[in-house]
Amino acid sequence: MDIQFMWETFLILLTGVPLTLELAVTSIFAGGLFALVLSLLAVVGGPIGHGFTRGYVFVFRGSPLLVQMFLIYYGLGQFRPFLQDIGFWPILREPYWCAVIALTLNTAAYTSEIFRGGLQAVSVQQIEAARACGMSGPLLFRRIVLPIAIRHALPAYGNEVILMLKATALASVITIMEITGLAGKLIADSFRAFEVFIVAGAIYLAITFLVTRLMMIVEFWLSPHLHMRPPTLA
Amino acid sequence: MSDRGTLLAADNKNSTAAVSIKDLRKCFGPLQVLKGVSLEAREGEVISILGSSGSGKSTMLRCINMLEVPDSGEVRIGGEMFRLKKGRYKTETADRRQVDRLRQHIGMVFQSFNLWSHMTILENVIEAPVHVQKRNRAECIEEAEALLERVGIGDKRNAYPGHLSGGQQQRAAIARALAQRPKVMLFDEPTSALDPELVGEVLKVMRSLAEEGRTMLVVTHEMAFARDVSSRVVFLHKGVVEEEGHPAEVFQNPKSERFRQFLSNER
Repeated sequence: MDIQFMWETFLILLTGVPLTLELAVTSIFAGGLFALVLSLLAVVGGPIGHGFTRGYVFVFRGSPLLVQMFLIYYGLGQFRPFLQDIGFWPILREPYWCAVIALTLNTAAYTSEIFRGGLQAVSVQQIEAARACGMSGPLLFRRIVLPIAIRHALPAYGNEVILMLKATALASVITIMEITGLAGKLIADSFRAFEVFIVAGAIYLAITFLVTRLMMIVEFWLSPHLHMRPPTLA
Repeated sequence: MSDRGTLLAADNKNSTAAVSIKDLRKCFGPLQVLKGVSLEAREGEVISILGSSGSGKSTMLRCINMLEVPDSGEVRIGGEMFRLKKGRYKTETADRRQVDRLRQHIGMVFQSFNLWSHMTILENVIEAPVHVQKRNRAECIEEAEALLERVGIGDKRNAYPGHLSGGQQQRAAIARALAQRPKVMLFDEPTSALDPELVGEVLKVMRSLAEEGRTMLVVTHEMAFARDVSSRVVFLHKGVVEEEGHPAEVFQNPKSERFRQFLSNER
């Protein structure tokens, strides 16, 4: 193990961190919004909305993210004239956007399942209490259903965030130079796969450590009704 | 119907009843739960609704604020009738806004409290006044604190429902219903989910509400409460009113054989 080499590797890989975070944050945010729509469709969208969400989840959860990324990046290239006509080509030409789209569509499938679980776990009794005092529609959703659903969904959602963060590594196979992409390049130059991947792994570990702490803080802050319980119930 | 009952019914024709239900019918699938129930509650009346399980008493109460929509019949709150329409499969409420508006006049207390778990007790109490009725927040808080004080849990304002005993939760739920400034209070077996030693504290609060002249409809198994506090007792059996009258009368000489049996089982 060459400490000097690892330190240099570390400094180089660190330059990939912003791109990794950018990919993760963009796709988690966009995927989260899309997932909210999908889960609402599943819960209140009637048979059509429910069917659409089920089909979507089936496809995007059932196939590998890498395949989805290849399909979007390489596969859609076959339809270049058509995509140029409708003005999508400038976006689909960029590997960055292809990666973001694949990550977004993929995480939306998983996250919508998490949100759906959260929404369905809201007790009928609490909703009934809200109806009984004159709440309905968006007010009921905003004040009662959503806050309770978010609290139910948060632990599982934290997991999804971490999975997404690591899934950005796949973007390296479509030429994106984030942490793993840079690592691959360094190995090609130096043939020292062990040191490079150890450093890369350590960087991911550090980021996920920070993310888990952050999720814990949010959970703690949102759920005083759970952790302030008297010790006998804890 | 007893003399007193007739007298009450005669009075009803002159003043608008706080709650009036007429020929209520409701089926759950093949099961006919309500088979034409009529009842009027004048202002200030406390009506205890008795009946064995499956008699339709909770369903009747839940029809009053449209948590269950009756298949047919009329429900009026302060003279205004809930508008119903025939849906594709079942009867539905016709106007969501009217339902929301009328529900604000009806405070409901549930068997299992149904407090909102993510809010403190104070937040539970001010939720409807602030967000539904759009009243001034500071005033609502002041009023909520007085209500919590009144039901004896003023010190629990910042606690979450999960930290309270059942009796405290139910008293918080009563405060929450009162905060709506309702014209009528509905109680759906408010003490049935409580440990025996906690029943008393909830009944005490309900008794004090009755004494200040609130209109209350109480589905209950507490015979002592029905006998001592209510101004009228209604006994439901298999979806119809089997017996109705002043508690002193109906408990002394029940006319219906079913009610007599019910009473002997409850004692």
